[in-house]
Amino acid sequence: MNIFIYDGSFEGLLTAVFEAFYRRINPEDIVPQERYQPDLLTTASFIEACPEKADRVYNSILEKISKQTLQYVYYVYISEEAGSGRYILDYLRLGWRLGYSVNQHLLDPRVLKIHQISKRVTVEKHRMLGLLRFQRIGELYYAEIEPDYNIVGLLAPHFSERMSDQNWMIHDLKREIAALYNQQEWVLIDADREGIPNLEARETTYEELWKAYYRHIAIPERKNPKLQKRCMPVRYWKHLTEKK
Amino acid sequence: MELQDKLKILSDAAKYDVSCSSSGSSRKNKAGGIGNAAESGICHSWSEDGRCISLLKILYTNYCVYDCAYCLNRISNDVPRAEFTPKELADLTINFYRRNYIEGLFLSSAIVKNPDYTMEQLLDTVKLLRELYRFNGYIHVKAIPGADYRLISEAGKYVDRMSVNIELPSNDSLKLLAPQKRKEQIIRPMGLINTEIQQTKEEKKLFRHKPSFVPAGQSTQLIVGATPESDSKIIRLSENLYQRFSLKRVYYSAYVPITNNPRLPTLQHPPTMREHRLYQADWLLRFYGFSAGELLQNEDDNFDIQLDPKTDWALKSLQHFPVEINKAPYEMLLRVPGIGVQSANRIIIARRTGPIHFEGLKKIGVVLKRAKYFITCQGKYFSELSLDSQLLRQSLLDSPQKKGPLYGQISIFDTTALIKPEEQYSKIFGEL
Repeated sequence: MNIFIYDGSFEGLLTAVFEAFYRRINPEDIVPQERYQPDLLTTASFIEACPEKADRVYNSILEKISKQTLQYVYYVYISEEAGSGRYILDYLRLGWRLGYSVNQHLLDPRVLKIHQISKRVTVEKHRMLGLLRFQRIGELYYAEIEPDYNIVGLLAPHFSERMSDQNWMIHDLKREIAALYNQQEWVLIDADREGIPNLEARETTYEELWKAYYRHIAIPERKNPKLQKRCMPVRYWKHLTEKK
Repeated sequence: MELQDKLKILSDAAKYDVSCSSSGSSRKNKAGGIGNAAESGICHSWSEDGRCISLLKILYTNYCVYDCAYCLNRISNDVPRAEFTPKELADLTINFYRRNYIEGLFLSSAIVKNPDYTMEQLLDTVKLLRELYRFNGYIHVKAIPGADYRLISEAGKYVDRMSVNIELPSNDSLKLLAPQKRKEQIIRPMGLINTEIQQTKEEKKLFRHKPSFVPAGQSTQLIVGATPESDSKIIRLSENLYQRFSLKRVYYSAYVPITNNPRLPTLQHPPTMREHRLYQADWLLRFYGFSAGELLQNEDDNFDIQLDPKTDWALKSLQHFPVEINKAPYEMLLRVPGIGVQSANRIIIARRTGPIHFEGLKKIGVVLKRAKYFITCQGKYFSELSLDSQLLRQSLLDSPQKKGPLYGQISIFDTTALIKPEEQYSKIFGEL
């Protein structure tokens, strides 16, 4: 059994897809280094990320399949779900055979799987656009998140358009990365818990006002915790100002 | 008065307005400005009652000169009163927005002094937000019935959505419960706003830089269960509003008993299940190609509490079924219980690439539990029951144990839902 291992970057993943084609190997899975667990039965080969090879795959998806497919592949990649490397490979093989129409084959398990995972990523991204909370510390607006999927990079463009006149940081505590914005552009940086600013120094006037608003806007006669939890899963409450 | 106290009083007073939507506008941020609107709308939180919080929904003031029986803010009610200044409201909005608590502002008001004065205050607030604070997020503002249309029209240039609440679904109810309001006062601004929206749309085609006017359209709200109108009357009214005034949304608000006024019914719980059925029917009007007359034939009909309106319609219209999944046109697929807009679209796409098998339907998102009785797949019928209205009805009923708690307390079924509307309102009529 063959397994490809890559450095965890999108470029690395695309390079691995390239190698699978040109070495005529059909790897059992394509796994990022940090999630790889060696066992006796598999032969693992490490694939070095190569910008040229990755570019060729990237452009080939755009030209021979579609932009939509490229987005699906990227979303499944950031889902970090087990087996996603394998799903992507199967989906792309089919895509290169069928071309643009691949996403119409909704009943094909290879397409269905990709669509389902992408959908979950899309849902969480949209949810987080609303559930993310900034805390004001001096001149910085700081947000902590622990999303299921690696979506910081999808959130940042939204907030750089919307909050373009404030400095902000969106910190993914789970993955120890952060998006940082300085009213000009945003960058993705490594940021472990050492990077958390001093939350004691945060401004709390508007937090208190928001909490008061949150309590008073509910209609007590219509209390419905089940519906509330279905719309806003409890795992997100930890970082919500109004739920702290 | 402290800002915190004002906020408490005026959010408490605003909570019975159900509109929460922040969709339909794609207003862009400008250099040096703050905020933009998301076309699809974004929910930022959900309150204890399970309703989404998208906008800072608040009243400018709850000082009111009117005495509408159903309303908490009526002049004869003894409640704490407060009034914001435009600046206080603008500061609150901006600071909530910067922390990503909200998508924008939903500003309404009780009638302080007179309608014109009230509308002027709302106008000042939205102007301040857009011009001085350079706020480009979503703003929904109430058009105050009875206010000079020039004021309403001016506000329309700054906001994304406007609404005039009808509240009571008939003229008689209005006379009974809100004697100072007249139907014309409500309907007239709706008509004028709609005309100006349509004109602006036309002119925008010719002049790209024509300033926008209420780009996310108008909405309104109807209170359900405070007065004796049937579901049929309500849904026909909605259909009219969608057709005549191109409304974006009609909201339905289950009446929450807030006073002991003898002109109002005494309900144990708000009729949330009835409200839910009306929303389902509303969706059928807007996205599924149904007409109000198809859903409820007679003026006095009400929706079946135990069956959703589409299934109810299908059981009464068995001559159209079963429908062949691989052949039926989109419009017919939409009419099958268990198939929604998304799954109908997916069926259309998937069958271009090959025939759809029964097993495939579930993967596409069809709810087979309901759909299986009404479809064939490659000519085969998969339900164990024959197409018999009575038999099917039994197996399609919503089981209260399963569904009840999601929409409200289960006790709705014992109190309001199963009581005939006539009994519910006997108290009202007793007074007449």
